[in-house]
Amino acid sequence: MRQVISRADQVTEAELLTLKQRIRYFTVAMVALAAVLVIRLWYLQIVSGEEYFTLSENNRTRLHWLSAPRGMIADRKNRPLIANRPYFNVTLAREDAPNTNDLLNRLAQILSVDVNELLDRIREGEDYPRYVPILLKEDIDWKTLVAIENHLYDLPGIRIDVLPSREYLYENLGSHLFGYLGRINEQELNESEGGYQRNDQLGKLGLERIYEKQLRGEPGRRYLEVDAQGFEQREVSVQQPLPGSDLKLTIDRDLQETAEEALDQRAGAAVVMEVNSGRILAMASSPPLELNKFIGGISTKNWNEMQANELKPLTNKATQGQYPPGSTYKMIVALAGLTEGVITNDTPFFCNGALAFKGRDYHCWKKHGHGSVSLERALAESCDVFFYSVGMRVGVDKLALYAKSLGLGVPTGVGLENEKGGVVPSSEWKKKRYGQPWHEGETMSISIGQGYDLATPLQICLMTSTIANGGTRYRPQLVEAVMDVDGKVAQGYEPIVDGHALGTAKSLAQIRTGMVAAVNTPHGTASVARSKTMLVGAKTGTAQVVKVEQYKHLKEKDIPYKYRDHAWFTCFAPAEKPEIAITVLVEHGLHGASGAGPVARKLLKEYFKEGVDIKEEVLIEDE
Amino acid sequence: MFHFDKRLFVHFNWALLLNTLVVIGISLINLYSASHTGYFGTPPYLKQVYYYLAGIGLILFLIGMDYRFLLKANYLIYGTVLLLLLAAALFGKTTMGAQRWINLGVIKLQPSELAKLTMVITLASYYCRQEIGKGFGLQDLLAPAGLLLVPVLLIAKQPDLGTALMLVFVFVSMTLFAKVRWQTLVLLTVLILPLIPLGWQHLKPYQRQRVETLLAPENDPLGAGYHIMQSKIAVGSGQTFGKGFLAGTQVHLDFLPERHTDFAFSVLAEEWGFAGSVFFLVSYFLLVFLGLKVAQSARDKFGVFLAFGVTSLLFWQAFVNLAMVLGLLPVVGMPLPLFSYGGSSLLTNLAGIGLLFSIGMRRFSRSGAGGKG
Repeated sequence: MRQVISRADQVTEAELLTLKQRIRYFTVAMVALAAVLVIRLWYLQIVSGEEYFTLSENNRTRLHWLSAPRGMIADRKNRPLIANRPYFNVTLAREDAPNTNDLLNRLAQILSVDVNELLDRIREGEDYPRYVPILLKEDIDWKTLVAIENHLYDLPGIRIDVLPSREYLYENLGSHLFGYLGRINEQELNESEGGYQRNDQLGKLGLERIYEKQLRGEPGRRYLEVDAQGFEQREVSVQQPLPGSDLKLTIDRDLQETAEEALDQRAGAAVVMEVNSGRILAMASSPPLELNKFIGGISTKNWNEMQANELKPLTNKATQGQYPPGSTYKMIVALAGLTEGVITNDTPFFCNGALAFKGRDYHCWKKHGHGSVSLERALAESCDVFFYSVGMRVGVDKLALYAKSLGLGVPTGVGLENEKGGVVPSSEWKKKRYGQPWHEGETMSISIGQGYDLATPLQICLMTSTIANGGTRYRPQLVEAVMDVDGKVAQGYEPIVDGHALGTAKSLAQIRTGMVAAVNTPHGTASVARSKTMLVGAKTGTAQVVKVEQYKHLKEKDIPYKYRDHAWFTCFAPAEKPEIAITVLVEHGLHGASGAGPVARKLLKEYFKEGVDIKEEVLIEDE
Repeated sequence: MFHFDKRLFVHFNWALLLNTLVVIGISLINLYSASHTGYFGTPPYLKQVYYYLAGIGLILFLIGMDYRFLLKANYLIYGTVLLLLLAAALFGKTTMGAQRWINLGVIKLQPSELAKLTMVITLASYYCRQEIGKGFGLQDLLAPAGLLLVPVLLIAKQPDLGTALMLVFVFVSMTLFAKVRWQTLVLLTVLILPLIPLGWQHLKPYQRQRVETLLAPENDPLGAGYHIMQSKIAVGSGQTFGKGFLAGTQVHLDFLPERHTDFAFSVLAEEWGFAGSVFFLVSYFLLVFLGLKVAQSARDKFGVFLAFGVTSLLFWQAFVNLAMVLGLLPVVGMPLPLFSYGGSSLLTNLAGIGLLFSIGMRRFSRSGAGGKG
């Protein structure tokens, strides 16, 4: 390098001099170009200055965004569930309002509100640039609208914005699926693409959020010329908005309504799934969100109330509620036992009411025992001792494989936010989670769906559906198609196979037989779903919340609500050629058959309508 | 590489410092007007103050550094910047349709800005090693053209046409400055002119539209012509003495979408009028003039080329931006150096000023590379 530099140094004085002399030409050229700029400035500011000044004073262009009508949400039979209706909002463009105080007094009279309310709104909006309109009042009625339109000349700066907003045709139906809209916040605005403006609404939760892009469409623009007072002079150009696409759901409106009515504000969830496609016909979480409270932004008071509510309305219990699966887990133990060769359909175990293991008695729900039971009756009467014995012989890690093959332990991928995966315990899982080895006694608990076992109602429905259809695990789907403006399918969603149950078709058929027996044999635990004209297969479940000795002697109705057992009921029908799987969970519903069973029964009745006679009242022998 | 000598400070270019401070002062006042409302968090004018402070640190560093170090390191710098450009192309963040940014956690780096100064250093190093004689012929130009084309293509791909063109402008200026034979010049002109329609085909639709819009903005006043029309209205309505500080109507109505970046000058022109604009332009081009004076007084060939290159870079950016704001050139996305908001551009141009200081201060030091005094 040094040589290069010394070579540079050796350049003769003369060469350096000629180089430097050439700088002059460039100086002249640059001065000439700079002069061009000054001449241009002189032309714009001095020669045409007045003309441009007039333009800037009198002919200001305003850009009005035209929000696109949001796509509708319809059920599988194209019956609309959520539509739009126009909301008329009163806004103020401050820069066009020379005397705000007078203006607000006049406006407050027309709107018949306290003027301080309007002043508060203005204070909130003070940090925004002056040209951003401030929202003064949402959703005014038609009479007020006419009154304002008539006085518009006395109300400089006041505008009526027409905002298409959501209209919930069935109130809170499907609230946890659809979610709600809310005003875009600062962070969302910064991260958004596609021309969102302040005051815009966007999906905050559920399908409204997940399909925001498709539902929203593209906003249009209207350029207006306004004079110095802000009055619109003429429309310069309009780009019409592009309406959003409609969503066609897999949900059936009638079933969804039935599910929500049957849950009747109790905390719980119900899922109805087509067993041969994974399409969800109903997914209810109760109590519902009160959607109308979210229109135009939810108040802190309402929000806090919902959060404090012991029934947890903000949680979608179908996908986010994780419960011990209880006896519904016994199908997994049965499948593992049959497939691993631990039992055959006829292997008997003797139940005397408890199974002793390492000096501890593990009880059956039936105090005096079931006697000698094999698979069919064990499922039908939910014999705990039978499944303790099978589970112990299979082992925790094998059980986990079968549970996973039926869709437990991971989120199902239905596509709703924050879906939970439940827990399928294994010795490795326990080591990782607690750093402790697995105790064999714990296998007893998980064999009857207690202990570490956790599952969501959607997962149990998926499990039931997979057993019912002969072992194909379809991904649960909520959206059948996105429909474009012309009513054509823009994007259709075909059933997706996520996996297969471990185990032969024969074992699955034997399990189904046990579930049918649970409904149709005299001592079956699920007789609540019995029908004279159709065979239904079902399994009840009772999930212990706590094991507290102090409540043991109490009568059920005296146990505090939050310590009562959860009730499960999961079924499929018709047994010969299953079409649907139904899973119901009622939090603290005490017993599967009496707590959750009636909900499932109503759903069966609704789905199969007149063709099927499901009995109204049954004697229930609870587990 | 670092060596301090009392004489260095005797030759410190006070005029250049004063002039730079005047431009920075005007810039901050103007940015305050363009951005004091309507922003959440730290407003741009305040962020720009932080960038200026960082820039002063950079200038001090460059003053301490002997500029001849760059002659040694030029290919290392060139290679590094090429890698950064590649990284931006591969992992860069996309804003407004162009991949220009690399996120370094604390700061977002725009490597195409660095490429401008790197091009100057690379060409200055290259030309100072050549025997020029009667001027370059076609063959002599192949190697520097190669040095130019690699970054230009990478930047044009982003796509950032403004910066790519800027590199070409700097290349042409520095090459002409180094001297090209008359015959070669004529030949090149004949060869390149027919290529222009071909290049037109390769422009992105929005780029083509910008050129068409420039030729007839009234055809499309609310589409692509919007920026040019609104900028012209802003500038023109300033008239002789302007509407007054913070009183520009065009500016505060959001009619100028990039009012604190590329269109910062329209804010100044609207609020301070012809008088203020000319005052600013004079002090601004005085900076260019001082830069050329540094080139004229430089000690060695590398210093002359480097100072000339830095100055021409400053000049062309300014000219293209101002011509765009005044509706003389299509909108290409080019900030006004030292004036528009934007960290990468500001630091690059302040680094250029730092080099001018470094060259100016060492104009009488006759020693070799280490600056032994």
